[in-house]
Parts: sequence; C-alpha cells; structure tokens
Amino acid sequence: MFQPEPMSRLLIVASKQQLEPVITELYHMNIFHIDDYVEKGDGEWEGFRIGMPLAGADVTSAALVKIRSIASAFGISKDSISDKERSSIKELKRRIEQDLPSIAEDVEKLLSQKSKRESIVKEYEQRIEALRPFIDAPVSMELLHGFDTISFIAGNVKGPVSLSIPNEMWEKQSKTGSFVIIAVKNSDVSVAERELLDFQIQKVQIPTETGSAFQVIKEYEQKIEELNKEITDLENQMDTIRSKQEFFLMSSEEFLSGDVEQAEAPLRFATSEHAFSVIGWVPTSKVTKVFEKLDTVCAGKVYVSELEVEDYNEMPPVEYHNPDFAHPTQLFMDLYSRPRYTEVDPTLLMAILYPIMFGLILGDVGYGIILLIMSLWLRSLVKGNEAGTQLVTVLRNCSISSIIFGIAFSECFGFSLPWQPVWLSRHINMGGAASHAAVEATVEGMSASAEHVSHIPQLLVLSIWIGILHITLGRLWGARNAAKMDHGHHKTLKIYSNIGWILVMWGILVLIWSKFPIPMMPDFSQLPEITAGINLALITGAVMLILGLVFIARENVLDLMEVPTIISHVLSYTRLIAVGLSSVAIAMVTNFIAIDMIISPQLTFLSPIGIILIIVGIVVFLFGHALNTALGILGGGLHPLRLHYVEFFTKFYRGGGKKYTPFGMIRKLTEQTD
Amino acid sequence: MAAEVALEVATAAASAAGFKAVGAGLAVGLAGIGSGLGEMGIGAAAMGAVAENKDMFGLALLFTVLPETIVIFGLVVALLLMFQ
Repeated sequence: MFQPEPMSRLLIVASKQQLEPVITELYHMNIFHIDDYVEKGDGEWEGFRIGMPLAGADVTSAALVKIRSIASAFGISKDSISDKERSSIKELKRRIEQDLPSIAEDVEKLLSQKSKRESIVKEYEQRIEALRPFIDAPVSMELLHGFDTISFIAGNVKGPVSLSIPNEMWEKQSKTGSFVIIAVKNSDVSVAERELLDFQIQKVQIPTETGSAFQVIKEYEQKIEELNKEITDLENQMDTIRSKQEFFLMSSEEFLSGDVEQAEAPLRFATSEHAFSVIGWVPTSKVTKVFEKLDTVCAGKVYVSELEVEDYNEMPPVEYHNPDFAHPTQLFMDLYSRPRYTEVDPTLLMAILYPIMFGLILGDVGYGIILLIMSLWLRSLVKGNEAGTQLVTVLRNCSISSIIFGIAFSECFGFSLPWQPVWLSRHINMGGAASHAAVEATVEGMSASAEHVSHIPQLLVLSIWIGILHITLGRLWGARNAAKMDHGHHKTLKIYSNIGWILVMWGILVLIWSKFPIPMMPDFSQLPEITAGINLALITGAVMLILGLVFIARENVLDLMEVPTIISHVLSYTRLIAVGLSSVAIAMVTNFIAIDMIISPQLTFLSPIGIILIIVGIVVFLFGHALNTALGILGGGLHPLRLHYVEFFTKFYRGGGKKYTPFGMIRKLTEQTD
Repeated sequence: MAAEVALEVATAAASAAGFKAVGAGLAVGLAGIGSGLGEMGIGAAAMGAVAENKDMFGLALLFTVLPETIVIFGLVVALLLMFQ
C-alpha cells in the first residue's frame, strides 16, 4: 500500500545446454523482467558476450512474417477475433507446417491476380480519359495518324484559330475555349506549331486506336466492368478464406510471436563459450517459485541466486501494488508518469479522493444516474481495451459518488429532492428558485424556506480545508521521499524545506485566524492581546512563517519566489465548489427557461401554438441538460485530475519509474501448455 | 417627503445589487479572457508536443490547465459577490 510491489534481483547462471529449457520456463512463468545485458560500459563482464538467437529462429520469423502479411492483406487483428475458444499448440504446429504454405500461396495468388486486374483497370481508365476529347470528332481514330504526307495536331486553344498555311481544321467549342484537330502538311508542322502558340495551345496526344472514340470508350468501359466483376469475385474468394482461416491465422500469429520472442531471448543474455547468465527482476513474493520451477526444469543443473541491491533508486522495474478497486486509477498515474520504485505511490489515495472530488463537483442524482447508465453501456464497447476499461470503471465509481453527493445535496437535474440537504446546501437563490421562494414566503407568511438557503461561503471554506489537508499530506510525503531517495546533506536540507513549506502555509493560516474570524475555521481573534493588537496567535503565526521561510531558503533561495503559490494552490481547491455551483446554475437556468418561462404559462390555457411551445420547451430542457451532463463530465473529471497533478503531485511526486514488463505473454487464443 | 426618501433608498439598493451583478459578470468574464489568453499558447505547444511523443500527454495536460486557476478565482469572487 502506497508502495510499489517489492522486487528482488535474481541472477540465473547455467551451462548452454540448459538455455532452451530455462527460456521456455521463464517465458511460461511470465514474471521475470529481464535486464538486458550491455556489452559496453559498466555492466560488462569479462569474457561474456551477447548471445545468439536459438536455432530455428529464422524459420519461425519467416513464417511469422508470412502470417502477418496475410493478416494485413485481410485487415484482421487480434482484437477483432473472439477469444472464446483456444487452439491447442500441437494442432497449431501441425497446421502451420501443413496448411500455412498452401494458404499463403492461395492468398498470394489471389492478391497478385487482383492487383494485376486493378492495374489493367487503371490503364483503361487512363485511355478513356485520353479519348474523351475526341468523342465528337467526325472521323474514326485510325484516320488521325499513319499518313506519309499529312500530320495531325490536336489541342485546347483559346479563341478562334486561323493559320497562314494551308490546313484543314475541326473545332469544338467548350466553356474555356475550344478543342481543335488540325491537319497540315508534314513540311508545315513546325510553322503550324509556332503559330498555334499564339492561341495558347495545350497539345493533346492523339491516341492510337481504331474506330470512333465513342465506340472505343464504350468497349473499354465494358472491359472495366468485366474486370471489376472479376475483382469482386476474387475478393469474395479472399473473404471465404479469411472467415475460414481468421482464427487459425491469429492464433498461430500469437503462438509464433511467442516462439520468436523466446528464440531471440539470448540476445538479452550474457553468454560465454559454454555458459550463459541473465539478470532480472521478480516480485519478491514469487522468488521461491522461480527457484523451484527452474530447479525442476533443469534437474538441478542451474544456479539461481538472489542478488543484494545496494541502491534501489530508479533501478527496479515498477509494478503497482494496490487493492483491486484502485487498479483503474493506475491509468491516471501512468498518464502522468509511473512512480519510481522507492517513492510513495499515491494511487490508492487518488482512487479514494478522485471520485469524492468528482461527486463534490457534480453532486446530482439525475446526472449521476445518466453517467452510471452510460458507463455500464460503454463497458461493453471498450471490451478488450485495457485503458478504456479502466477509464469506464473510474467513470462508474465517479457516477456512484455523484449520486451519493446528489442525495446529500438534495439535487436532481437542478431540482431539489423532497428532503433537506444534509449539512450544507448549495441550492442557489436565483431565477425560478428565487421566485418560488418568494411565492412560498408570501403564501406561508414567513421568510424563504430553508430549502433555498445556500451555504456557499461555508462550502468554499470546506473546499479550502480539503486543499490545506491535501497539500500538507503532499509535503509530508515530500519529506518522506527525500528521506528515502536523497543522500547526504542534500537529504537533510530537502526534508527541512518540506517541513518549511508546511510551516509557512500553516503560519499564514494562523496569522489570518488571529485577525479575522472565518466560518468553519478556528477563531483566534478573541485571544487576549499581549500588546497593542498583537496576540499569542499572531506571534505564533509569524514565528512559523519566518522559520518556514528560513528552512525553504536553506535548500534553495530561489524557491522563496514560489511562496505565493502556497496561497494560489490552496485557493485553487475552491474550484471543487465553484465549478460545481456553475453546473447547478446551468441546470437551474435550463429548468427556469424550459419550465417556468416556456411550458408552465402554456399549461394554464392549452392552445395549438401552446402545444408547439411546450414541445420547444421540452427540447430546450433536454438540450440544456445534455450540455450540462457533458460539461459535468469534463469539469468533474478534469478538475480533480488537475488538482492531483498540479497542486498535489508537484509537492512530492518524482515519477519516471521503469514499467515492469515480464518476459512472457498472456495468451488469448492459444493454450498455455503444449 | 417620506415617500421620496423611501424611493431613493429603494433605488440605491437596487443599483447596489445591479453593480454587484455587473461586478460578478466582469470578474468571471475578464478572468475567462485572461485564462483563455494564457492557455492559447500553451495549448498549441502542448498539442505539438503530444503529436511528437504520446507520453507527454500527462505533462501537456498539466501545463495546459495551469492558467485555468485564474478563471476559477474569478468565479469564486463572483460567487462571493452574489451570495454572501
């Protein structure tokens, strides 16, 4: 709790005969995080080199490449396959040997046929494009070339063309100019071309075809249609193969990538001529398992030993160690940065506080229920996606918290529920609520009912208290991290500076309390004065403040510039109430516009236009609350996250831990054992 | 005479309430513009950083929302003006 999973450093040494069984067993256990052996630098052992891949790695890789290329041609991925059944490895091995080559051949053949036809289609389309200008030409295409004495020039020109040399011309007007085909004597071609430049000619190649352009185009179009039919046919054939082999392809992809990973594992080991050795990390609770399993597999011919670790800073990979309900929150930690091995892991605290803050902001039974339904519905959509599942689970927790706070605040879509808010009310005396209160007051002959009394200043003070305690805890953890992670003189300074920050914050608070009474906070202003205007609290506060400043300055004088952030960070927590109130206000305004302004007046005297207005009112109501729900998720989700990231984590959190990635794989489509 | 004084008092009270509302509006509005200006540059740079390296997302979000405290202060001031 508040600490990552304890890790132990293991050294495995054995002769090279044991290389394969050791790798297979380690992969199977899926708990050993390999520290890659580095040949150069501090980590080098004399006489040890990086190992060679196991025999057969190239064959497996080749098969894997084949499968992946088929998969990408089909556009299938592991996530799209249902993992209800699993294939046995034996069967897979047999099929990879027997069926895979023929499948690959079939697919390759189909693909090449398809691409050949596609390229022909493209070529025909280009020819059609080239022929299109000649569609209205009065002669067939074969008459436009192949003469001994006459040449043809075709092109788009601007304006009517007249040439000084003898020629025959066909012209067709278009929007931007005209298309011309000109016949001239071979000897006049260069003159004609020069003169045509004055008409800004864009020459068009005359295609070598036979028959009228219109007919030729028709023929090509027919051919394209036939080819397209063939392509669809090929695609259908591929679809049949795909639906039949999909599962086999993906499960063998999984199996082979596991195989390749194992075969290439020696690249991360240190090997000598006859022996190999590997260092890695295993969760301390599972160390004995590794000892036992490796011993059994190698019949005792392996040396496994737990190494002493002198300096834990940064080195071990970090795996979270939290109760189940805090697992989804790990997403937020990874989003920021994984904690280092030796530092406090605040995931658990965040898992508790985040939903509470969300509830404080969006404390509304109606919105809570909408979010709860939404999160349950989304759950099925994000299946298989780990981050998505985590996010949806966080949303579910938050919506439950929102419902609980909604009951406490007595709020549902901005209306009050038929009970008094527990402790503090945030019902706002505005718009509809205010007029209701006024009506009630005149009817009952009393001042506005308790239901409409709000405790906004008190709520703001409450949020400030949350901030003070949160930040104080952050600083305490900062001191703890310094004690554990820093060394020598720097460590002492760092611890004192963290205490200094706490002293400054509480010193300022005591100073304020000594002068000004604030609701829900201690009031020291009534303490007996020692001399003019100065009481004991004032002196205590001043001493704390100065002592704190000294502690901070001793670590780094420039940090004194940051002292005003104490106030801004604490006040930043008022967002918990302020953002929440703005969502209450939007809900109330929506209700006031939709119901009090549009719907209610129509209900007293129903008319056809009135019914339309009522429908408009309902639309306004739905739209307003949909908008407010969206804003509620954004506000309620982002603000607590920010309070954690900016106000809380900056006090102690360092992050940058290495992720624990054990050597192995969680099999989805294949069976674990052979 | 008395009626005139009463009217004057009522007018003064009404305009005081009006000024309060104007002040609250200014507090939220100006603070909003302020944070918007602040977040403008940071947001653009943060998007660029995230596009380059997805791991930056947490840090980028953090930097982007930093100036947002300003508008919260505006909101708090407005709330205190309106409801205290």
